[in-house]
Amino acid sequence: MNAQDIVDYTKSLDCVHCGLCLRTCPTYRDTGRESASPRGRIHMMRSVAEGAAEVDQHLIEELDGCLVCRNCESVCPSGVEYNELIAHTRSALADSPHRSLLSRESMRFGLRSVLTSRSMIDLFALMLRLGQRFGMLSLAGTLGKGAENLPDVPPAAERQRLAPVHPAQGKLEGEVAILEGCVMPVFFSHVNRATVEVLQAAGRQVHVPKGATCCGALQAHNGELETARQLAKQMIVSMEGPRDQTGDLLPVVVNSAGCAAQMKEYGSLLAEDPEFAERAEQFAARVKDFSEYLADEAGTRVAEALATDPPQIQSPLTFDDPCHLCHGQGVRSQPRELLDSVHVQRVEIDESESCCGSAGLFATLRPADSQRILDPRLGALRASGARTLVTANPGCQLQWQAGVKRDGLDVEVLHIAEVLQRSLKS
Amino acid sequence: MHTTIPRQLQSILGDEGMIADKNRRIPYECDGLAFEREIPDLVLLPASTEELQACLRILHAAGIPVVARGAGTGLTGGATPVKGGVVIGLARMRKILEIDPTNQFARVEAGLVNVDITHACDDHGLFYAPDPSSQTACTIGGNVANNAGGPHCFKYGNTSRHILGLKIVLSDGEILELSEPELDPSGYDLLGLFIGSEGMFGIATEVTLRLTPRAEVTETLLAVFPDLDQACDTVTDIIAEHWEPSALEIMDQLTIQAVEASVFSAGYPPDAKAVLLIEVEGSRPECEANVAGIEAIAKRHGIMEWRRAANDKERKKLWAGRKGAYGAMGRIAPDLYVSDVVVPRTKLRQLVRQTTDICERYDLKITNVFHAGDGNLHPNISYDRRDADQMRRVLAAADEIMRVCIDAGGTLSGEHGIGLEKRDQMHMYFEPEDMEAMLGVRDAWDPSGIMNPGKMIPVRACNEHRPLRFKR
Ligand SMILES: Cc1cc2nc3c(=O)[nH]c(=O)nc-3n(C[C@H](O)[C@H](O)[C@H](O)COP(=O)(O)OP(=O)(O)OC[C@H]3O[C@@H](n4cnc5c(N)ncnc54)[C@H](O)[C@@H]3O)c2cc1C
Ligand code: SF4
Ligand code: SF4
Repeated sequence: MNAQDIVDYTKSLDCVHCGLCLRTCPTYRDTGRESASPRGRIHMMRSVAEGAAEVDQHLIEELDGCLVCRNCESVCPSGVEYNELIAHTRSALADSPHRSLLSRESMRFGLRSVLTSRSMIDLFALMLRLGQRFGMLSLAGTLGKGAENLPDVPPAAERQRLAPVHPAQGKLEGEVAILEGCVMPVFFSHVNRATVEVLQAAGRQVHVPKGATCCGALQAHNGELETARQLAKQMIVSMEGPRDQTGDLLPVVVNSAGCAAQMKEYGSLLAEDPEFAERAEQFAARVKDFSEYLADEAGTRVAEALATDPPQIQSPLTFDDPCHLCHGQGVRSQPRELLDSVHVQRVEIDESESCCGSAGLFATLRPADSQRILDPRLGALRASGARTLVTANPGCQLQWQAGVKRDGLDVEVLHIAEVLQRSLKS
Repeated sequence: MHTTIPRQLQSILGDEGMIADKNRRIPYECDGLAFEREIPDLVLLPASTEELQACLRILHAAGIPVVARGAGTGLTGGATPVKGGVVIGLARMRKILEIDPTNQFARVEAGLVNVDITHACDDHGLFYAPDPSSQTACTIGGNVANNAGGPHCFKYGNTSRHILGLKIVLSDGEILELSEPELDPSGYDLLGLFIGSEGMFGIATEVTLRLTPRAEVTETLLAVFPDLDQACDTVTDIIAEHWEPSALEIMDQLTIQAVEASVFSAGYPPDAKAVLLIEVEGSRPECEANVAGIEAIAKRHGIMEWRRAANDKERKKLWAGRKGAYGAMGRIAPDLYVSDVVVPRTKLRQLVRQTTDICERYDLKITNVFHAGDGNLHPNISYDRRDADQMRRVLAAADEIMRVCIDAGGTLSGEHGIGLEKRDQMHMYFEPEDMEAMLGVRDAWDPSGIMNPGKMIPVRACNEHRPLRFKR
């Protein structure tokens, strides 16, 4: 492969090397290595494109070590599109001989085959649950090792899928489609149920299109851009299904920040696709994060639906911004507005926009690194005095739950949809 | 480098503390001045003064050149590696060791990022005054080495006014312990000598710094001008009439437009030819008097608009735009050359004009964003280092800019230091004897000459007297 194909060279030139992104990068803070910083990673990529560097395992290791948390984009005055730079290069290097064959193959199998099909996910969930219950994962080689770091799979009764349509409660104010997600129904079906209930209480009729499985974010961030494009197309087609009474397409409400961030970028992902480019743009404009949609479209209706007597939520609560919500989508105020309508005191947690180390597959593939990224955040949680930590992304929720449990903190970790659900008037 | 040396260093630093492979050394080949580049032979990232000391002993014995690096945000090539040398990065030494709110000082490791100090002492109503626009990235050690300034240094003074103590490792590994906070050192003021030494005297590992109480009231104002000259003249008059704002920053139209297109968009009007960002601090009556006096001057100079930030959020937004301005220039071209010169404040309008004319003559894109209150100009030239002819024109223009500023009674550098960028222009300002004397001081601190050799003092000028041990 030639060097210019590995790197999006033009985008790499946007970096003026000012260094203003260094301090916010969790991997730079952790290691002190510039090669593990945004500026350093861009510098190495540009050097590859200019023929001054050759790809080797050190370079791949530094690029793989990136959380793709996109904190660097939020502070870059020059507007470097880091997310696209890293996705491009990771994709080009996915099959690099500098990776071990086994890691290449298991990664590809997971991303291309398991996550893209509902029946494969269900099968995998079943196997994983059996493996976890009978402690057999350590016998299963490399794949099993990765899986050991996955959270416990709940029993089948809790892994229930959502019905295709849920009527509004009270006066109908609008209709929405929601994304059920790929692993959400496995690990987080309760969050999905909370999402639906809160939307219903806000007067929304909720549709759950069944044709699409996965948004493709994990694939796009881990070197499988082609698979990501295929998934994006399936998603678009499936979400073009339900319409409201006037025949208009519905807003697509997403309760996982990582998925919404990816879906909002379908426009650029499919920009070169003659059949889908325009549809992708239109689709992306309909995608809304759960809290973004509720606060912007249904703020008063939500507030009215909430009970005034303190609900079953430990006070005070704090909101920790998922990276792909604040950096990826620029959504910051809406979750706070919603939480402030819940009758519980809210405090801020230091560096709330800094990554918790969950970062898609990162926590699963690199548990030790991920733990080190989480450690200072746990310190900040302790210092904040919060007893409920609220997030808006399933990966972050798992990560915080694991950290809180390990440190023995008396903190409950909830998705914002769960907080609102618990606060609804009964 | 002898093959046993990396092994010895590695045994001191461990895997986390040393980078030997080429790819991961590449990001260290330059600082913010991207056209001066050299890949270091090794990068060392010590985690403590003791580790650093042990490394320096080995490097000193082997005569290997050493370049200290903080965050590499320097704009003059101070942290550019030296051929055949190593880089010692301080990025893993960033602990806050002590905060004494009563006596108003803090002791920190040198790799700590400037803004982290202010965050840490905020609750005590204190802050660390020197605030380079790079403060969210640059390190205290780098600030000390360059005697960094910033918008508020107009009122509070540059870094040197805020350093109370240092712990320094000298080239041979000896530790110079000056870290007890002292207001008036007995004997020679070694701190004063070290501050601004650009990594040539030794490596600072701990810094004791003065914390300043926050003013009772802070007001941030924005004056919007239809004309850059008028903005300059406003500043000249504010100074002449003895008003005492704490910061006076000018941005011209291209800068405004770049900022407004960035994540730091601050609401500066894009059709304005210049904005002047003003801050006043003090008691309520002091502030009001200053605001009224300055507003009257600005109005006299035909402002289009006068704004006063209503709250902390608006203040921060106005400042974030200013602080993100350099980076925002990345929207204009891949590289940015930030010149740093000082001129008499009575001649702001004339010199801003002249520097602009020079760049136009060389067909270069110039933006102006500068610490007007200090007369510290930053003519910024956007360029692309891949274009050799453009590169030549940038250097020629930079040279002329320094020349006209010095001729007008100004100086070579306001705050960014000399490094490589201005080394060869030192003769514009100093006689050979002056530079010889400076080398004498350098020799007293580092007789071996391994610390950041080839920076600051022009090689040719000194060759006439005594060859430097390391040439670039
Ligand atoms: C966007 C931007 C805005 C800027 N704004 C300003 C501004 O307003 N005011 C200003 O003054 N500067 C400004 N600068 C320049 C730069 O940030 C300062 O010079 C800063 O002090 C450099 O700090 P650093 O940690 O990045 O040091 P580096 O660039 O890593 O090093 C600078 C010099 O210090 C030496 N050094 C570093 N650490 C040590 C140590 N521990 N002991 C001894 N020597 C050491 C290095 O060898 C080198 O010579 C700006 C730069 C950028 C990119
Ligand atoms: S902030 Fe942006 S322009 Fe500056 S070094 Fe980082 S990526 Fe490059
Ligand atoms: S995405 Fe996150 S981890 Fe990756 S370079 Fe940017 S700030 Fe660092």
